[in-house]
Amino acid sequence: MARARKVFFRRRKVCKFCADKIDYIDYKDVKLLQQFIPERSKILPRRISGTCANHQRPLQQAIKRARHLALIPFTTD
Amino acid sequence: MRTYELMFVVDPRVSDEEVVTMTQDYKNMITTGGAQITSEENWGRRKLAYPIDKLNEGKYVLLYVSSETGKNSLPEVEHRMRQNDKILRYLTVRTDEDLKRAARRPVTVRTGASADGGNTDGGGEPEGEEEFNHGAR
Repeated sequence: MARARKVFFRRRKVCKFCADKIDYIDYKDVKLLQQFIPERSKILPRRISGTCANHQRPLQQAIKRARHLALIPFTTD
Repeated sequence: MRTYELMFVVDPRVSDEEVVTMTQDYKNMITTGGAQITSEENWGRRKLAYPIDKLNEGKYVLLYVSSETGKNSLPEVEHRMRQNDKILRYLTVRTDEDLKRAARRPVTVRTGASADGGNTDGGGEPEGEEEFNHGAR
């Protein structure tokens, strides 16, 4: 029964940056950025991570900068 | 006032001393161009996320630059770095605007998020990472 209910219950996603009050997303913070690049090293979409638009934009920028400097990969194979 | 971050990756076969002298060269260029070095970080040898020129490691150097008048010689510095084969990558980022925006943003964004997530706030935090997996299924 509990399992059946779980299907309908969706925990509300909260933007990590809003919750943790991170306002400047630094491209040097590899640990932070890595949470948003799953296995294939693609940028995690907002619909999955729950990041708000205001934070997804600088996050995307930061990831791309970090990629350029080879801090995080473009792809994994 | 404008602030910049200048990060560059040096070929790991270059000795540490040479990296220091190279860095000093660039710093001199920056200071003569009318800007100041506020701080400097040397990350040392670090594994690259992907090979560059068949190299798997690089030496990272980071300079924080500030320019009171906005005048600077960073374009020249970049030009020099582009010509230097020992520099694998470089990146200059202007940071003052983003930091300023970040300093005044929290109030507006925060209120919306806390109103929505108010009831799940207690148990919500540790489950955050699991949520990604659900979605990626």
